[in-house]
Amino acid sequence: MNISILVLSAPYSSQGAYSAYRYTQAALKSGIKVHRVFFYQDGVHAGANLATPPQDEFNLYTAWQDLKLEYELDLVVCIAAAARRGLINAAEAKRHNKQHSNLANGFELSGLGQLVEACALSDRLVTFGY
Amino acid sequence: MSILLVQQSAPYGNSSAKEALDIALSAATFEQDISILFTGDACYQLMANQNSEKIDQKNISQMLKALPIYGIEEMYVDEDCLRKRQITHLTDSSSIKKLSKTDIKKMYQSADTVIRL
Repeated sequence: MNISILVLSAPYSSQGAYSAYRYTQAALKSGIKVHRVFFYQDGVHAGANLATPPQDEFNLYTAWQDLKLEYELDLVVCIAAAARRGLINAAEAKRHNKQHSNLANGFELSGLGQLVEACALSDRLVTFGY
Repeated sequence: MSILLVQQSAPYGNSSAKEALDIALSAATFEQDISILFTGDACYQLMANQNSEKIDQKNISQMLKALPIYGIEEMYVDEDCLRKRQITHLTDSSSIKKLSKTDIKKMYQSADTVIRL
């Protein structure tokens, strides 16, 4: 069994963003292969490295990064959706002549082709919406 | 491999219509078999005479009309949702077929992957 996850909702704004994390974690713990986690629409904010939730709250940003380190997860953020929402990596910052970049380590910017590929190569795509 | 893309949002209130369209175009680029179903408020995407330039948005119905050029021929709308919203004047794309709830159930069952936005 091999699944991919599509995350559409923003961290802290919607339950969906947290549920996506818990579901992915549970799948990995039970031995299910997660081919890719694809962040789209407001879900792209999961890859923001300037987000600093209060210390007494669950940190969803570092939670994804930790999960990636533990299971070698593929965390892909849609490049077009991210750029629109002010989330760019160093290469994009250079290309668009911006002084800073803010994509967190462990996340990769790529195109929607990665979502299409995930659909083709996974037994299931599980979407977490708003 | 077939993908059923289910749209549920009205054209301009949020980014879903536009971003769903981007998924469709990307799937077509990678030569995947993609169908689009418009349900709920997504029916409003199909209305004729949208003047979206007045709110500085690209015209969704014009973009939908262009989809067959990119190889996306399978477009469907939930006829119940159209009726409930009293939408009678659709954009002149004849490639959009009206489906009953029974037909829609079959579409869900036959698709390999369903993406709902």
